[in-house]
Amino acid sequence: MEGRPADDSVLIARAQRGDSAAYEEIVQRYQQVAFRTAYVITGSSPDAEDAAQEGFVKAYRALYRFRLGSDLRPWLLRIVANEARNRVRSSGRRHQLELRLAEGFRPGDAAPSPEAVAVAADERRRLLAMVNALSEGDRLVIASRYFLELSGEETATALGIPEGTVKSRLSRALARLRTRVEEAASA
Amino acid sequence: MPELEEQLTFLAAAIEWPPTPNLSGRQLHLPARVEVAPEVRGRRRPLWQTRWALAAAAVLVIVATLLAFTPTREAIAGWLNLHVTINRVQNLPTPSPLPSAPLGRRLGLGDPTTLAAAQSHLGWKIQVPASLGAPDEVYLMPPPPTGPSGGEVTLVYSKRPDIPVSGLTGVSLLVTEARGMINENYFQKTLGPDVDIEQVTVGGHTGYWISGHPHNFVFTDADGNPHNDTLRLATNTLLFDDNGTLVRIEGELTKDQAIKIATSIG
Repeated sequence: MEGRPADDSVLIARAQRGDSAAYEEIVQRYQQVAFRTAYVITGSSPDAEDAAQEGFVKAYRALYRFRLGSDLRPWLLRIVANEARNRVRSSGRRHQLELRLAEGFRPGDAAPSPEAVAVAADERRRLLAMVNALSEGDRLVIASRYFLELSGEETATALGIPEGTVKSRLSRALARLRTRVEEAASA
Repeated sequence: MPELEEQLTFLAAAIEWPPTPNLSGRQLHLPARVEVAPEVRGRRRPLWQTRWALAAAAVLVIVATLLAFTPTREAIAGWLNLHVTINRVQNLPTPSPLPSAPLGRRLGLGDPTTLAAAQSHLGWKIQVPASLGAPDEVYLMPPPPTGPSGGEVTLVYSKRPDIPVSGLTGVSLLVTEARGMINENYFQKTLGPDVDIEQVTVGGHTGYWISGHPHNFVFTDADGNPHNDTLRLATNTLLFDDNGTLVRIEGELTKDQAIKIATSIG
């Protein structure tokens, strides 16, 4: 199995025995989704970095209580998201989450004309602007589900709400976004 | 997939996220080792890994630093007799607010039941404080594989005269009882520097009064996963061993009130 990444359970078992290198491998594996989750919650890159870092340290301290066989990602995200929410709460401020489009983004599976690329980019910009203009609750749930690609359970964890509330909140957020898209199209 | 949802899915690939910092290695400043209670360390499958273990649960960890402070060595021996240990820290982590859920789930107390039904599941006698009257709610953590060895029962007293409703639990009092057994651990307390510990005597049994600043109590979520990062703060607590039954009385009450309640147990 040389060269094949170790399973989470193998890394966890090693980390639980005090192998910090194994834990660092876990951190590398999940730091992107953890950082981005914290960013969606805090709206601030420095706060998200602090929250993710502190979250991973807390998770390390609590690792001996992790139930082997459970899914590690939601467990880690829960800790990081709690840390991010704690930071927002204790600082008394929440930065406006402002998502941006990557410059020069090209879908990888087509060779469209320059005009088509320009139109598609413009549509994406307008849609993202509408997402950014939604209320904070709507924006967070859409960003979590579609942009972070979190599961319903993970979204519930990240936002600190029941999974059933995620579904209803997402449904309402999509309805409001759809209304804005349709209004813009008919204007 | 509806068109809008499809567009959002495609949009995800075009989002420009802030660069992810490298959190591994030296930047993470990991503790020197995973903080495992000595009693837990070395078990192949610690009690903590069972379904809701922490709520019932708990271990008290005596750290070496405690030896340098109060309570005295004799008092620490008393702790050991209770099969509990204490971890005193300089800074308590910020607790998260309690999740909105029924009391039992919120505090990880187990399943709602009645005194009689709980008693039928336990091999030891539930001790009910006569001075409080019948509990308003009863919760049961059954024995393994669901709960700790011997099971654990929690009696809830919503409101009682002269004992304010705690803003941390939403009730006046929680009385938690578990069967203590040598080499098994039941309670974990993480005490900040401004928490007082005082040895007391309850009906001839050694006990401890933990008061002052609220202290940490770890509990699990509805899925049974321990929440290290979702802590509630426990209020004043009287902890004592009544012939092998570990009793914990928790609420915003005074030491005298707690001892009076404890001595009415029978």
